[in-house]
Amino acid sequence: MKVDKTLAASIALHVLVIGWGLVSFSARSFEAPQPEAMPVDIISADQVAKVTAGIRTGEKEKPKPLVEKIAEAQPVDDAVGKITKKEAIVTNAAPDQPPPVEKPVEKKPEPPKPVAKDEPKPIEKKPDPPKVDPIAEALKSEEAKKPTPKPQAKAAPPQPPKPKPERTFDQSKIAALLDKRDPTRQSITGAALNPTASLGTHAGTADAMVSTWKGAFVAAVRRCFSFPYNGQDSDQFEVDIDIQLRRDGTVAAQPVVVAVRGPSKSVADAMAESAKRAVEQCQAYAFLPKEQYDTWKYIPMTFGLKDML
Amino acid sequence: MTRRGFLIGGSTLAAMGLRPALAQRLQVNPTEFQPLPIAIPNFVAGSPADGEVGVGVTQVITNNLQRSGLFAPIDQAAFIEKITNIDTAPQFQSWKAINAQALVTGRMTRQGDGRLKAEFRLWDVTSGQQLTGQQYFTSPEYWRRIAHIISDQIYERLTGEKGYFDSRVVFVDESGAKERRIKRLALMDQDGANVRYLTKGSDLVLTPRFSPSTQEITYMEFGQGDPRVYLFNIETGQREIVGNFPGMSFSPRFSPDGQRVIMSLQQGGNSNLFVMDLRSKSTTRLTDTPAIDTSPSYAPDGSRICFESDRGGKPQIYVMPAGGGPAQRISFSKDDTNGSYSTPVWSPRGDYIAFTKQGGGQFSIGIMKPDGSGERILTSGFHNEGPTFAPNGRVVMFFRDPGGNGGPSLFTVDISGRNEQKVPTPGFASDPAWSPLLS
Repeated sequence: MKVDKTLAASIALHVLVIGWGLVSFSARSFEAPQPEAMPVDIISADQVAKVTAGIRTGEKEKPKPLVEKIAEAQPVDDAVGKITKKEAIVTNAAPDQPPPVEKPVEKKPEPPKPVAKDEPKPIEKKPDPPKVDPIAEALKSEEAKKPTPKPQAKAAPPQPPKPKPERTFDQSKIAALLDKRDPTRQSITGAALNPTASLGTHAGTADAMVSTWKGAFVAAVRRCFSFPYNGQDSDQFEVDIDIQLRRDGTVAAQPVVVAVRGPSKSVADAMAESAKRAVEQCQAYAFLPKEQYDTWKYIPMTFGLKDML
Repeated sequence: MTRRGFLIGGSTLAAMGLRPALAQRLQVNPTEFQPLPIAIPNFVAGSPADGEVGVGVTQVITNNLQRSGLFAPIDQAAFIEKITNIDTAPQFQSWKAINAQALVTGRMTRQGDGRLKAEFRLWDVTSGQQLTGQQYFTSPEYWRRIAHIISDQIYERLTGEKGYFDSRVVFVDESGAKERRIKRLALMDQDGANVRYLTKGSDLVLTPRFSPSTQEITYMEFGQGDPRVYLFNIETGQREIVGNFPGMSFSPRFSPDGQRVIMSLQQGGNSNLFVMDLRSKSTTRLTDTPAIDTSPSYAPDGSRICFESDRGGKPQIYVMPAGGGPAQRISFSKDDTNGSYSTPVWSPRGDYIAFTKQGGGQFSIGIMKPDGSGERILTSGFHNEGPTFAPNGRVVMFFRDPGGNGGPSLFTVDISGRNEQKVPTPGFASDPAWSPLLS
């Protein structure tokens, strides 16, 4: 029987390559580090919904939905340019006059108020076309190849020809600096009304996960807690006390001393009494959020003497 | 990270009402100390004749608690309820209304046999519970002592620590012109009352120290010859020389068991520490250095001694075993005054050593831990010296000389550095030594 030489060569080569690979790549087996166990609470979608849901009795925080009406698409007005009533505004704010250098040419085409400039009030900021529809103005100015967006900004330049640099700041005229134009806000409109007619977003229990009241509560109790022990071992003293609260933030029952720790039993006991007094002394804790009563109706606390001189 | 995970998990559960409690205890630490408001209405008179002593006892208690700095007695003018019977519970609401946290009621009654009965109750106003109640019998002249004992009871019940009011102070009373000062040994209650003079003032006396039994005092006296260490019995007035040494002996102090006296003996230009057994009169040398070793003081358990020595150049504080042996320097000036340390005294509580520190032109009183760490200066000035601990280790008394033509006076200060108080004395006073509790 004749052996196919190429087959033999192929087998030999394969064996060689695989054998080489086995030897050279097997240097060290890959060791995966043992993953550290991490505690995880498994909660169902149902529970998540409960956490984030609002409460029927919750206060309505935003009586108006964001969108008040449905409107046709409107070109958005340029609020700045929308001037309903022209008024002389005397200001000191305008004066740094860099524009004159840049746009001397553009200024010329605006002739409207030469008179105004002659008047004793030199600093008229609004020589611009007074009662003009902004849109029309926009169109006009586009035709005139003027920079449309800032009619006011353009208004300032006319001064340079008039060398009246002296501006006096008159305190009594501060009122004049105020923008007296009518508010330009209109109902915010959109394509659709706000879909969530909210039931008390602020009453949702979602924020119960944020321990906002805890810091306030600790600070309130601390205000009344004081104990005079000042031995070297003072940081070893600790008292565990459980507190039960009513919905109005008052203490429902005598605080219960769960445990006392420290080098001296008599000192620790006295400290426990002091802590109980502090809790009762500083009630009622009316600032605790009523909607989260379940989280604070029962508060376990530990009183220590750390950081006290 | 793991712990954080636990925390979040816990509060999530709590938020959903699956667990009624917070998973984590809220930690509260006080920020600053505030004295406890306490109401002490006048003790009720058991019979019409006892009104005066009732008021007196109340005043002594009020004064004691006030001076301790830990309590804030409320002005009697603010009281709403008048206590007429201490056997019924007080109207706690009316005491809450004036912010009292504790209330003391009491009664003084003269008995048929002439003795005085003192009763008192201590109430927790917030919880409406009686914290303690006691009665004592004594002969009428000891009414102050009863007031001190009641003060100690209140102090101990509310702080958990032993009080120090029922104790005495021996000191050197100074009178006369500055260049011809007469110095007498004097004894008084810790609040400055009941001053008694123990010596006549013909000889100069220094550094009196109490024995643990409070019946004896050891001190140094310049007599005709060298200064010597004496023992003085308060009850009998007898005195005797401790040992018979050539040369000067000074800065004596009792051991915690009262059986021995430790002191310095002068040898040439040096002095070393010796301890003498009072019964066998045998003397043991503790140090042997070409330096001045002085001001020894035992640790409360008697195992170690702290003392002052200039073996390193300047006076510093060293600690060594009570039987002698290698001494370790514990005082190191941490500021730039490069100060020296002297007159160490070990607290009866064992946790601190008080000292006089000299440096930067000032004399300071301070405390440090027995290993030299945690140094805390309690007061500083032109001249402060000679600290001595109250029996509970909580208060230090010392004397201060303002300089000029004045003279020294006694002061107390809390070991926290708060609440410095002048101790009333008839004249100038120095070198105080606090007794242990009398009972």
